[in-house]
Amino acid sequence: MRKFDNVPKINRRQFLTGTAAVVGSALVCPGLVFADQKKPKEIIVRAWGGAWGDALKAGVADGFTAATGINVRMDFTEDNEIKPKIWAAVDQGRIPPIHVNWDTTTNATISALRGVTVDLSDLSNLKGLLPLAKPIGLDGYPLVNTYAYVYVCAYRPEAFPDGPPKSWNVLIDPRFKGRVALYDDGIGFNPIAVLVGGGKLEDIPDHMEPGYEFYRKLKKNEPLLGEDADFTTWFQNGEIDVACTISVNARAAKEKGISVAWTVPEEGCKVDTDGLWVPKGLPPNEEYWAKQFVNFALTRDAQKKWCSMLGLPPVYPGIEPPADLVGDISYPTKPEDFKKLIRIPSKVLVENQPKWFAKFSEIFQG
Amino acid sequence: MSSSDTPSFQYPLSWRILDRAESVAGLWPGRWSSLTGYLFLVPALLLVFVLVIGLVYIFDYSLHELDLSTYRLKDAFSLVNYQAALKSVTYRIVVLRSLGASAIVTLITMVLAFPYAYVMVRTRSSFTRKFLLISLFLPFFIGQVVRAYGWLIILGKEGLLNTFITSLGLPPVKLIYNYPAVILGLVQYMLPFAVLLLAPAVTSISEDIELASEGLGANWVQTFRHVVLPLARPGLIGAGVVVFTLTLTDFAMPEILGGGTTDFIANSIYDGFFQISNPGLGAALSMILVTLGSVIVTVVFFLAGTGTLVSTEGTP
Repeated sequence: MRKFDNVPKINRRQFLTGTAAVVGSALVCPGLVFADQKKPKEIIVRAWGGAWGDALKAGVADGFTAATGINVRMDFTEDNEIKPKIWAAVDQGRIPPIHVNWDTTTNATISALRGVTVDLSDLSNLKGLLPLAKPIGLDGYPLVNTYAYVYVCAYRPEAFPDGPPKSWNVLIDPRFKGRVALYDDGIGFNPIAVLVGGGKLEDIPDHMEPGYEFYRKLKKNEPLLGEDADFTTWFQNGEIDVACTISVNARAAKEKGISVAWTVPEEGCKVDTDGLWVPKGLPPNEEYWAKQFVNFALTRDAQKKWCSMLGLPPVYPGIEPPADLVGDISYPTKPEDFKKLIRIPSKVLVENQPKWFAKFSEIFQG
Repeated sequence: MSSSDTPSFQYPLSWRILDRAESVAGLWPGRWSSLTGYLFLVPALLLVFVLVIGLVYIFDYSLHELDLSTYRLKDAFSLVNYQAALKSVTYRIVVLRSLGASAIVTLITMVLAFPYAYVMVRTRSSFTRKFLLISLFLPFFIGQVVRAYGWLIILGKEGLLNTFITSLGLPPVKLIYNYPAVILGLVQYMLPFAVLLLAPAVTSISEDIELASEGLGANWVQTFRHVVLPLARPGLIGAGVVVFTLTLTDFAMPEILGGGTTDFIANSIYDGFFQISNPGLGAALSMILVTLGSVIVTVVFFLAGTGTLVSTEGTP
């Protein structure tokens, strides 16, 4: 009799929840339940940490585990650092270190160009997604975009008693010398720098000089250059008053009680996308389940939960924005919202980002 | 009790291991017995060999240009990465900044480390020696990144120091995310290394010589300058070379305390490999760093000897 004491007890509520998860999964992702591929114990998904990782876990990973029984382990290796590891593994015929890479579309496109990504065209949930989901300039689906995000102008309200900054010129305002910040590779700001420097959208990518001239002025204002996590820390510690950062970081900081607000200045903001991709070289069954993870991430429920937590517009159509972001241009939903946002095709970014970065470094490290 | 129940006698484990080692050593030809000691060098040599293989690969990468349409290195050999690195004003400034920091950090660290090592070795107080030793080893238990973050907490706008400054009614001072902050972090990081390398050199200086100097009328400054310092020269050279090269190749301190605008060569190498996915450029910068460090150390060894890093005692 005693040995039966070790059997986990399932109450009615748990039974119904589990059954609902399995039935629901069978409806939206039939492959999850009826697949004959051997399930691995876990799959490893590279992710960004903090609010980003929390959202992926709650929005996608937990649901995938409930539906399949496969644990999802997050790998928080920096996106730029995992890239060469995967490339080397694929080139050398080794098993890649992760199953799914949550990546910027630009980096994912670079990996696709290098030929290390698995085609995702056969995923059932691709049907009906917004056109944003399809990578531009690539055959098939070597990656799938999952949401859009905006590099907003985040600011400390106390430093702007007259209202939010109207122009990105605030970055070169001497009043904020040493108290402005942007990404350490210029990502998210390069096209904006051209516009605020007096150039036009058509100048990108061949005539970036107005942007570089703006950077030269910006350098005199002694900006801090960092990564996602740095912006939150800097706002928290009162080190900066204004920054160009992704709205997710500003929103996460605000939710932590840090005094931060954000705006889209008159010159506009850069909008971009992130996506998911599966590296080549995985054992067939693991590749299958990695693809099923991506497929699961494209279901309505997963998209809604994941992207609502991030505060970003998903590629699944018809999902309402979170209450705090209704009418916020950083959560674009209407065509007029997108008019204030600047999207640079991935192909242009992939071919020019190294050159822009070299110039960016020359100006700020010089 | 039957004989099968009697536990068979066994020599201690260490004896058995040595017996096995001797039987393996027996395979070594007798006429090469004078070289047996060098066998112990084999693991270290293998490690260096692996490092050299890695360097050969990196050198090979550096000779290929990145193809932006596939993000793979082109097959053709080219010097384009070296041209890009050597012509770039950015990299020239980064190299000069790294070299400047290495010189400054080495100088400051030596000035701070020498009295520390001297007192630690010479003190008669057991408590003082233990206290200095613990203070010396404690930082080794705390990684470089944690120490750098410690400085952020102390020197930040709302950090310990600025809280004190503002409590006096003064405006906060920007103490981090600049070059001096990086230097400060590096000096703190390098100090224990320098003390550890200087301590044996100070130990080897006989106190009798110092007493003789004072007995002949020299004051402590003269004794220090004309007796202690020259005799400690091997230690100073050894510690100086280690601190200089470690600083030259450092990544974390400029990354964390530099605020993104005071990169060292290692940060540029990282950007080449990871940020812009150009292993050719990253490899070229790596080769420049290795060459630069090797040339400087060789010149120092040529001009001032190898210090305590290589002992000449016992050599014919």
